[in-house]
Amino acid sequence: MEFTQLLISGISQGCVYGLIALGFVLIYKATEMVNFAQGDLMMLGAYFAYTFVHILNFPFVWGLLATMATMAAVGALIERTVLRPMIGEPPFAVLMITIGLGFLLRAIAGAVWGSEPKSITSPLAGGVVRVDGVAIGYENIAIIGGTLILSLLLFAFFRFTRMGMAMQAASQNQLAAYYCGIPVKRVYSIVWALSAAIAATAGVLVAPITLVDPMMGFVGIKAFAAAIVGGFGSLQGAMAGGLLIGIVEQFAGLYLPTGFSDTTAYVLLLLMLFVRPEGLFATMQRKKV
Amino acid sequence: MKGVLFKAENLNLSFGGVQAVRDLSFEVERGEVFSIIGPNGAGKTTVLNLISRLYDVEGGGRMIFDGEDITRIAPHDVARRRIARTFQNTELFEHETVLRNLLIGRHVHRSSHLLSELFFTPRVARQEVDFRKIAEDVIDLLDLQHYRNQVIGHLPYGIRKMVEVGRALCIQPRLLLLDEPSSGLNPEETEDVAFWIEDINQDFGATIIMVEHNMKLVSATSSRVMAMADGAMLTVGEPAAVQSSPEVARAYLGS
Amino acid sequence: MRFLFKTDYRQDVRLFRHNGQRFWYGLLLLLVLLAPLALSDFYLGELALVCIYAIAGIGLMLLVGYTGLVSLGHAAFLAIGAYAHTWFISHGWPFPLALLKASLITALVGAVVGLPAMRMTGIYLAIATLAFAAIVDQVITRWESVTGGFRGMLVPKAQFLGVDLSGSVAFYFLCLLLLLGCMVFALNILRSPTGRAMNAVRDSEISAQSMGIHLARTKSVAFALSAGFTGLAGGLLAHRLGYLAPDAFTVLLSIQLLLMVVVGGLGSLHGVIFGALFLGLLPQAIAMLRDALPPALGQVPGLEPGIFGLILILFLVYEPLGIYGRWLKIRQYFELFPLYRKATWKRQKSYLRTERMR
Repeated sequence: MEFTQLLISGISQGCVYGLIALGFVLIYKATEMVNFAQGDLMMLGAYFAYTFVHILNFPFVWGLLATMATMAAVGALIERTVLRPMIGEPPFAVLMITIGLGFLLRAIAGAVWGSEPKSITSPLAGGVVRVDGVAIGYENIAIIGGTLILSLLLFAFFRFTRMGMAMQAASQNQLAAYYCGIPVKRVYSIVWALSAAIAATAGVLVAPITLVDPMMGFVGIKAFAAAIVGGFGSLQGAMAGGLLIGIVEQFAGLYLPTGFSDTTAYVLLLLMLFVRPEGLFATMQRKKV
Repeated sequence: MKGVLFKAENLNLSFGGVQAVRDLSFEVERGEVFSIIGPNGAGKTTVLNLISRLYDVEGGGRMIFDGEDITRIAPHDVARRRIARTFQNTELFEHETVLRNLLIGRHVHRSSHLLSELFFTPRVARQEVDFRKIAEDVIDLLDLQHYRNQVIGHLPYGIRKMVEVGRALCIQPRLLLLDEPSSGLNPEETEDVAFWIEDINQDFGATIIMVEHNMKLVSATSSRVMAMADGAMLTVGEPAAVQSSPEVARAYLGS
Repeated sequence: MRFLFKTDYRQDVRLFRHNGQRFWYGLLLLLVLLAPLALSDFYLGELALVCIYAIAGIGLMLLVGYTGLVSLGHAAFLAIGAYAHTWFISHGWPFPLALLKASLITALVGAVVGLPAMRMTGIYLAIATLAFAAIVDQVITRWESVTGGFRGMLVPKAQFLGVDLSGSVAFYFLCLLLLLGCMVFALNILRSPTGRAMNAVRDSEISAQSMGIHLARTKSVAFALSAGFTGLAGGLLAHRLGYLAPDAFTVLLSIQLLLMVVVGGLGSLHGVIFGALFLGLLPQAIAMLRDALPPALGQVPGLEPGIFGLILILFLVYEPLGIYGRWLKIRQYFELFPLYRKATWKRQKSYLRTERMR
């Protein structure tokens, strides 16, 4: 019973990690940039949702859609101003700039909304489903369900649409992509918009459970570990990694002394890097010289 | 000086389902210029990659260099045995100057260790000057004086190829592996290549294994030629004989 | 414009290429040595901190700028150095030996961290260092017998052979001298085969191997050296802080170290010095800014990291060569006047090539 409860919590938490990791991997797959500010994009999404739902009094679903649209715009804006000049620069520089971006976003959020935690009440609040004596909150179902839908949509997008293929091409060899007529810069903007929208969704889904404050983006670091465990560059990997870490974390909280469960993500990460650096679903290949 | 310097026995290598090198055996004599020719995908560069240990030989194949079995040595030990190589798409140290690239080639001759370098003892200083002298000899051979202190990133392609060779020469190799030295060069530059291959072979005394497409260059410089196709050897012999062989023609032109 | 007439290869090997360099650096050294005459205790303390940051920066630069290995968790090495040094001093070891041992222990840890580094590239390594830092943080918090855990550890006053090193002038000179020593060591490494091997590993691992460079060993050495320098800085930092606690060595500190290295100018020791000055003086500047801004903006809790982030972004976008790069441009302007061309520094348009095929 407790096992199932922990499992559900783990899956739910894992979905949150997985969604953020999806955002990472999306940007990486398409632009080969590592976005350390992904968690902070989620944080911004949660704040925008709070604004739409509680300050402007939108109905919840409209608030969610408005948030996604706004964050998509924000994502594209960030890409245009901060990341566009970094195309072709070494990965380290891009990493540093996204770290800086994260700091900046947190400061801005703190300035605009204040640092006191806010809460978002969703229409699903409080409801539980009882299966076999196990109580599953509606929020958890929403998280898991929402994640499933998003993952399937993304998978189909990359597999079957031209834009999806264009994104992959642009990330592997930009110059060649230009020559093939792919509008690389526009592709990048779309990628960032998409990724920000996904992060926003994660923020909205998780906000009713946790509170909204500027530091909530730090979960992004664990999501990062999830992406690596799953195999950076693989969408399935991001989800798998997130679920793995989410579940193991819950059980670690039960069996290990307090405080250790926090380092679960890091330990798993290091383990994976030692044993199988390419992650669960490997995408790195050997260069032919 | 005659005698076999390098011997390959039953080399095999596959990538995924593709057999890149197929039961390949050949010998290279001391002091000769041995060319490997063949159509694209024949496995020529793979042979060089096997010799320089970037890939592992599969099956029971062996490689013997100067009497020593080098089939399983580590990649960084290859240079220690004075086998040097160039790469088809130059793999230079982009952020360093030409001079520093050449000096890195002297690494295998280093007799200092970390502690003495930390304090930059007189011995280390003397070693630096010695290294510099050899690097300057190579610069003289290849006429790179103007480019000494320029960063690789801004150099034209022809010069980069020279620096690539120069860096290999700084190892003072007994065996030099050249991967398509003339690719991307114009006819004049290619003639220069022929000259310095001769210089390296005669003056530096290095045995050369060269992968090439340019038949004129091959005929002008090589003592023997091996033709490959689909990972296997077609024939080996004097340049003229190999080039006029019907099998080789078929491999290039299709049947 | 200066034209150098070289007659001997040793001129290229020496630390100072020509007399002009000797003159200007000598002048700078003189100024720095005479600083206590002109500056108050407070500013001497700040300069000492700048020296400490610079030593840590040398360590980080060796790893990031010269070997191309990114470390997001370098504060962990500062922590190890600080705690180790304090522990040794508390157990009776004389000051120089305690500092040396702390530095060596940190170097050893660095070498161990470097071992898996050979299997990881770029971003993976960066995350691994982050994970490493998180784990070190946990170890410090839980190893209460040695580190005092959350309660922290008091740092005894620095003194050697009866001489009190904790006064601002003495401490300043101590940090300065150690910085000069570290700079000489770093410069020695960089002009010798080890340094070139590190650069080779940064630029092309495959051809580095073909040149006989042992990848794993070079990376381990780079980590060890980097950690060693940073550990030394940590020992000095302990005295500056006076009291050690786990929350003094956070991810923010690691990022600040990186900020220092990037903003100063990646790839040169000059950059480290500029960056250290920048990092040391920034909190003062921010404090002044805080007072100048309206309360709504000025009292925001995340202001300091926010400004760090903004500066980082601005530098990376507009001046990727850092402060040192800007200094070089200015100097070249005057040297070549009126023939200065902006195009010399124009960044080549570069296109992304995937790193997933290595």
